This record gives sequence, C-alpha cells and structure tokens, in this order.
Amino acid sequence: MSETPEISYEQARDELIATVQRLETGGTTLEESLALWERGEALAKICQTWLDGARQRLDAAVQAETGSED
Amino acid sequence: MALDTSADSPAPLRTISQAVGEYIGRLGAVWVEAEIAQLNRRPGMCFLTLRDLEAKISMGAKCHVSVLDACAAPVTPGARVVVHAKPTFYGPNGSLSLDVREIRPAGEGELLAQLERRKQLLAAEGLFEPRWKKPLPVLPQGIGLVTGRESAAERDVLENARLRWPAAPFHVRHALMQGSESARAVIAAVQALDAEPAVDVIVVARGGGSVEDLLPFSDEALVRAVFACTTPVVSAIGHEPDTPLLDLVADLRASTPTDAAKRIVPDAAAELEAIASVRQRTRHALLRLVEREQHGLDAIRSRPALARPATLVDAQLELVLTARDRSRRALDQRLSRAHDEVGHHLARVRGLSPLATLQRGYAVAQAADGTVLTSVHDAPDEIHVRLADGHLVTRRTAVHPDPQENPDE
Repeated sequence: MSETPEISYEQARDELIATVQRLETGGTTLEESLALWERGEALAKICQTWLDGARQRLDAAVQAETGSED
Repeated sequence: MALDTSADSPAPLRTISQAVGEYIGRLGAVWVEAEIAQLNRRPGMCFLTLRDLEAKISMGAKCHVSVLDACAAPVTPGARVVVHAKPTFYGPNGSLSLDVREIRPAGEGELLAQLERRKQLLAAEGLFEPRWKKPLPVLPQGIGLVTGRESAAERDVLENARLRWPAAPFHVRHALMQGSESARAVIAAVQALDAEPAVDVIVVARGGGSVEDLLPFSDEALVRAVFACTTPVVSAIGHEPDTPLLDLVADLRASTPTDAAKRIVPDAAAELEAIASVRQRTRHALLRLVEREQHGLDAIRSRPALARPATLVDAQLELVLTARDRSRRALDQRLSRAHDEVGHHLARVRGLSPLATLQRGYAVAQAADGTVLTSVHDAPDEIHVRLADGHLVTRRTAVHPDPQENPDE
C-alpha cells in the first residue's frame, strides 16, 4: 500500500461526489471540466487507497489471529 | 420434711442425708444457664464448676466426657452454656452437684441480641453504607486469602477460583479462624495483605459453624479494620444464613467460600468466548462498512462523468465538428454561387464579343496600333484583318471608295 493519503476518506468521498455533480451539471469550460475530471480521478484513487488499506488491515488482523491460534 | 426430732431424740446423720438425698432426687432434671468457671476433664468423666452469670453463686457439676464432646461449641472455662441437668446429692461427703446430661452453647439469644446492638451502633456510624463499597477488580492481579491452615474453606476458594481462572494469583495468609484469639489474627492478616501492593482484593474465608464460632467475624475491631482497608474485601464466612458483621462491612459478601471464588475471578472460558464473539462482530461491522463504501465509490466511478471522461471532450468535439461542417457547407455554397455568377458573366461577355459575328464571315480591319478602320480613306498601307480564328496582315494595293450616294459628293 502506498503512503497514507493526506486527506481523510470522508473528505475525499464528499469532495468526489461534489466534483462529479459539478461535472454532470455542466456549465463549465472545457478546461475547467478537464480539471474537475482530473480532480475526480485523484479523489477516487484516494478513496480506493483508503478502502484497500482498511481491507488489508482487516485481513492482516484475521491472519494474525488464525496464525496465533495454530 | 416432716422429720420429728428434738435434742432428746436426734435423728442419725444418715437419716438426714438420706432424707435430703430423697428430697433432691424428687427435683428431677432442669434446664440451667450458667458460665463454666472450671473444667476438669478425667478419663471418662468431667468435673465442672458452674457459676451464675450475675450472682456470686457456684455449683459443682459432672458429666460423661461424651456429653462434653457432643456440644456444638467447645466447652471451655468462661464459656456460657445452657445445661440440662439433674441435681444429685452425694451422700458420702454430703455434696450437692448437677448431673449434666446435655450442654448447649449458651445464651445464643443474648449473644444475638448483643450482636444486633453492635450492628446498629456500627450502622449508625455509617460503616455499612453502600457508598463505601469498593468495586472488585475485574481481573485481580493478586488475591489475598485469609483462612484457616489446611481448611476446607481454603481448598474451596483455591480450587474453584483456579477452575475458572487457572492463573489466579493467590497470596494466602493463614490465621486462627476460631476462638478468642481469632479476631486479632484475622485483623493482622488482613492488614498485612492490605499493605501488600500486589494484592488488589482480599478474601476472608471460613467454613460454617455455630453462632459462637463465627463470633470473631463480628468483632468490632475486625469490622473497623476491614472498613479501614483500601483494598476491597470479600467476606466468605460460613453458609448462606450466617451473617456476621464482617459480611456487612465487606465490599462484597459471598455466601460461601466457593461463591467467593466465583465472585473474585472471571470465568476464563466464558470471557474468551465473549471476546471472540465481540471481535467477530466488530470485524463484520467493519467489513460491511468497507463494502458499503466500496459500492458507493464504484457507483460514483461508473458514472459517465468519471467512467468515460471522453464524453467531456466528445461533447465539445461534436460542437466543433458541427461548426466546422456548417462553415464548410456555407463556404461551399458561397463558392458555387460565385461560380455560377462567373459563368453567367462569361456568357454575357461572350454574348457581347464580336467573335460570333466574325464566325459568320465578317472581319475587322485594324491598323497596326489596333485602331479599327471604318473608312477606306483612313486605310494605311499595312492592314491587320481579324478573322474568327486569327488575323492576317495584308497590304493595301488599291482603294475603291463606294460611289457617293450623296449627289453632293
């Protein structure tokens, strides 16, 4: 897993939703749209990083436990 | 006693002795409350001196040792007893004694009343109030145990505690758990354990017994010592119905030593199971949370704005292409209209040109400088003749003016 993102999962998720809504609403210049889309991609990646990390930690905990029980 | 005697006719001593003996013999057995003043145990028989509880009155008594041993409480000098005895007169030395058939620990009623008074006094001081009760540690780091050496109570506490929590750390202090010295010994043990930093709960355990046996555990000094303890104290004295004052001042009252064992240590197996179940539940909850968020994220990412960012450009591209096509079409139309105009003008130009006339056989005569000749009089030597498909250069050899139509000429 890469380093921990500097913003929290909830921050990233909420901003991502807002970004997509702005994209869908339209009314932005092409350059703005592209910037919004790039931001959206980056936010989605951050969210995924958080979720992957959470799942990994869960898996690690389960494995550590089954390992100690053996 | 209608013995008719006078100075002249005395009765012999044996008669008197016999009469007294008969009289006393008719008294029958009575219940007597007294204190043991002396006790002299011989093989088979025991000789006692009973003393009244208040008056300075004593009387000898005797009984078979089995009667002594059958008593629920130990019969010792100073003990209060209730005896079932028959007064008997011993002729050979004229002594009166009580033939004891049964001994009971005495003054249970009085003892209980005394305990009740002490209880009320201590309660009035607030020693038993719930607000002083200290909570027991969930998992004790050190369990102080005050009990009799090799007693059943000790075994009950140790075995039952270790059944539940095999690593239960005990600090055992043996003390005399019965008799007048008992309270002081228990106080010393409790205080020593209270001072021990490793001990975070103290159990005072003793098996069942008579009210008198349990008297040390209602001792005021012991009650105050336990009250002063900073370590929580569990009392486990006797059986369920026994309630010495220690039970009231203790932070927890266990009904029996076995019950104390259950109260001071958690059941390891049950605790582990509970922990495993809680861990399982938290893990599931977390997993569900992650899954829910993942679904949300997937949903957002699958929306066209993110999933197919090309649409952003596509929309703009379409606008651009449409505009380009429109501009091309517009230019196209403009060009073809211009073309048509040009053709039209050409036709007009062609219509106006003399070429068609030339093709019909006419010719245009011109001077070398291009001046069109309209009169034979103006004709130079060299004449250019334009025909439909080119021009000739000719030389003037003759001039024939037309005859004058005008008679003036």
